[in-house]
Amino acid sequence: MGQPSNMVQLFEKLNDLKAVFVYGQKIIPVVQSLIDFMKETVPLLENINNSISESTNKIPKATDHINNVTNATELATTEILDIIDRVSDDLIAIEKKLLDLANNDSEKTTKLLKLKEMISGNSEAEALIDEIIQNSAVDEQLKVVTEKLSQIRQETNDITLSLQVQDITTQQLAAVNHLIASVQNKLASLITDLSDNDLSEFDKEEPDNSHFNAGALYTKDSSSQDIADALINENNLKTSQEEIDKLFK
Amino acid sequence: MKFLIVDDSITMRRIVANTLKNLGYTEFVEATDGKDALDKLAADDSIDFVITDWNMPVLSGLELIKAIRGSESLANLPVLMVTTRGVKEDIMEALSAKVNNYIVKPFTPPVLKEKIEQILAAIA
Repeated sequence: MGQPSNMVQLFEKLNDLKAVFVYGQKIIPVVQSLIDFMKETVPLLENINNSISESTNKIPKATDHINNVTNATELATTEILDIIDRVSDDLIAIEKKLLDLANNDSEKTTKLLKLKEMISGNSEAEALIDEIIQNSAVDEQLKVVTEKLSQIRQETNDITLSLQVQDITTQQLAAVNHLIASVQNKLASLITDLSDNDLSEFDKEEPDNSHFNAGALYTKDSSSQDIADALINENNLKTSQEEIDKLFK
Repeated sequence: MKFLIVDDSITMRRIVANTLKNLGYTEFVEATDGKDALDKLAADDSIDFVITDWNMPVLSGLELIKAIRGSESLANLPVLMVTTRGVKEDIMEALSAKVNNYIVKPFTPPVLKEKIEQILAAIA
């Protein structure tokens, strides 16, 4: 009874083996196509790897370029501010000269009026003095020139204030630089994963983002200031109430 | 009145200084970040008023305010923040740090004047 059972088991094993061979025959083309696919993929992966390496190598140049732009705009802005300072100093000097001129004119008029008093009775001389006073009066012209100077001063101040755009764009560019540096770090770690290349020359630490505000905007819209004012007022009221409450405790 | 202007941007420091000059204030000291500001405050006890940016390297404006409020000798020093950060959460954070007033950049001279006067009136 034991022998037929062993034979049955043997045939079962042979059938299993046959099934494995049949399955193997079926799977071989699949494995082959997988190997072919891998063979085709390897150059593609190498290409991707090379492209990533190339892009990663270009990133420091891009960030340097952005830093150069930032430095150049800061330098140009400083030069503009220097010029504005000189113009402002000149305006102050001109205004001082005009004031001196006005004072001299006033003194001259006083003296002429005194002279007119001294020659009282000589109507011809009096008329001549009146004419001199009238012709030499610079009050009106001075008023016009002073107003013009004041306007120029206001406009130079407006230029100065507009230069706040440099600080705001610097922060926007710093945000772009931060983004590029983050991408660079991701690419560098991808390269390390894909190949044995260790891009140790790249700083893989998360770049510092404390010195800029990515949301910086140059806008004349006062809504953010209005929010700040409302919150400050609310806070001041709260603080005042707390102080009053403390007094009654 | 002696001001300490704290900003990492040389442009902003000059603009704030020019505006203060036009408002009739003539004494300024400048600092490039929060740490530099604390050094200046430690070296010069005649500083009456701090105008600071928020985003700066080394030590931010917010950390500077916290350091000032945490210092026995500087705790009551008026601090005005001038920053590009205009969202409510940021303003609330600055208020929690006990900033005296807050200006969102770009600022105008009337707003700067108003805030300085408000602070000075409140502490008088």
